[in-house]
Amino acid sequence: MAAVLFFAGLAGIYALLYYLNHKTPLPEGCENIKAECEGCHDSSCALHPSHDQ
Amino acid sequence: MDFGNLFVMFITFTLINNVILNQFLGICPFMGVSKKSSSALGMGAAVTFVIVAASLVTYGLYYAVLEPLNLQYMDLITFILVIASLVQLVEMVIKKMSPSLYKALGVYLPLITTNCVVLNVTLNNISEGYNFAEMMTYALAIPIGFTLVLYIFSTIRERLDASNVPAAFQGNPIALIVAGIMALAFSGLAGLV
Amino acid sequence: MNRKENFTAGFIRENPVFGLYLGLCSTLAITTTLNNAIGMGVAVILVLVMSNVIISCLRKVTPSEIRIPVYIVVIATLVKIIQMLIKAYAPALDSALGVFIPLIVVNCIILGRAEAFASKNGIFDSALDGLGMGLGYTVSIIVMSALRQILATGILSFENPFDMEQVIFSFRLIPEDYIISMFSQPFGAFITFAFLAGGLAAYKNHQNAKEAKREAEAKQQAAQLAKEAK
Repeated sequence: MAAVLFFAGLAGIYALLYYLNHKTPLPEGCENIKAECEGCHDSSCALHPSHDQ
Repeated sequence: MDFGNLFVMFITFTLINNVILNQFLGICPFMGVSKKSSSALGMGAAVTFVIVAASLVTYGLYYAVLEPLNLQYMDLITFILVIASLVQLVEMVIKKMSPSLYKALGVYLPLITTNCVVLNVTLNNISEGYNFAEMMTYALAIPIGFTLVLYIFSTIRERLDASNVPAAFQGNPIALIVAGIMALAFSGLAGLV
Repeated sequence: MNRKENFTAGFIRENPVFGLYLGLCSTLAITTTLNNAIGMGVAVILVLVMSNVIISCLRKVTPSEIRIPVYIVVIATLVKIIQMLIKAYAPALDSALGVFIPLIVVNCIILGRAEAFASKNGIFDSALDGLGMGLGYTVSIIVMSALRQILATGILSFENPFDMEQVIFSFRLIPEDYIISMFSQPFGAFITFAFLAGGLAAYKNHQNAKEAKREAEAKQQAAQLAKEAK
């Protein structure tokens, strides 16, 4: 029981923070900056440079 | 508290048992964010910050909540959720507080959730049975070693761009060869401690 | 793309390790012996197939804003289950792979396939994709570990992972005087990987060049035919 509650709490905190963070607008001047990661060639990753086209 | 031992531990985990070159962790950012030395330093600072914060939170949670409740088997899922939440929280706070800091560090934060270095440090803090001082030393030594190697590697890669590499080895393969030579050089430091 | 192409893509053309550079950390670290590679490969296949199936089942009820958290929770739970099973039934494998079993959670292959494939496709296709990608990963690390083990020790051997005493096969390929023990060290890991990835890139370049040449020839022929028709 404690495990389920603890897990639900943690998952809830994470989902909430994730949601809030994605609602927070980017500060001025930062709209277009991105980390250019070319570590892997996985073109489905949001950080892959192929998404810029 | 024995500062001599902590210092030896610090040197071991920054130089000798280096997280990238000896433990092969964090290879993705090592390949991906090493094109420019400025981004290497930004990534290094972001990783250092998140590792220290995540170590403190997970260490506290494990010994204050998981162990008394006999929930040790929840360690992995707890730690990954704590790291992911921390990254979201830090990103949100930086966005609101300091745009200039966001420019320097913020862009690297999304890369950190799935960074194996962070998860590895939090898991090892527990499995090695470190006390608080050892945990802090370890949580600082690993990301500092990571930043050091990432920065050296990025300066080499800046020069590598200008060199003539066989077509098949362009990009990641030649970078891996450079990493191998760096590992060879760092293995020479093994006698330091 | 049909099912068969989708399944075989993971082996050469879209090889997750040497082509896409996914899961580098575990690949470099655990490819010292064939035993480790097979154990790790099986663990990754299990997690990948199960996570693809579960995420595919949940794809219609997951709000898209929090889909990444959902994926992470599903994957972490599966990895913990696998870790406990390995610890119970193959303790020698558990101590050999060490922290790299829990680190499957942050292996880019799993999250990448969840995001790119399982969240958009049906249960059966997702399971097949997981199996194909997982086998691609396993074959890659088996090749790399066999190379490193042969060069470093001269012996290729495989023991029963549930009972390390029971040797399934073991034979010497290189005499003891000619082994290069450096290949069991970090340097060997990086160099072996670089050459295998470079080899795959060279093969792909060669194939692309052949295809471009064939296309150019076909175009030329078509032009000639059109001229003759006039």
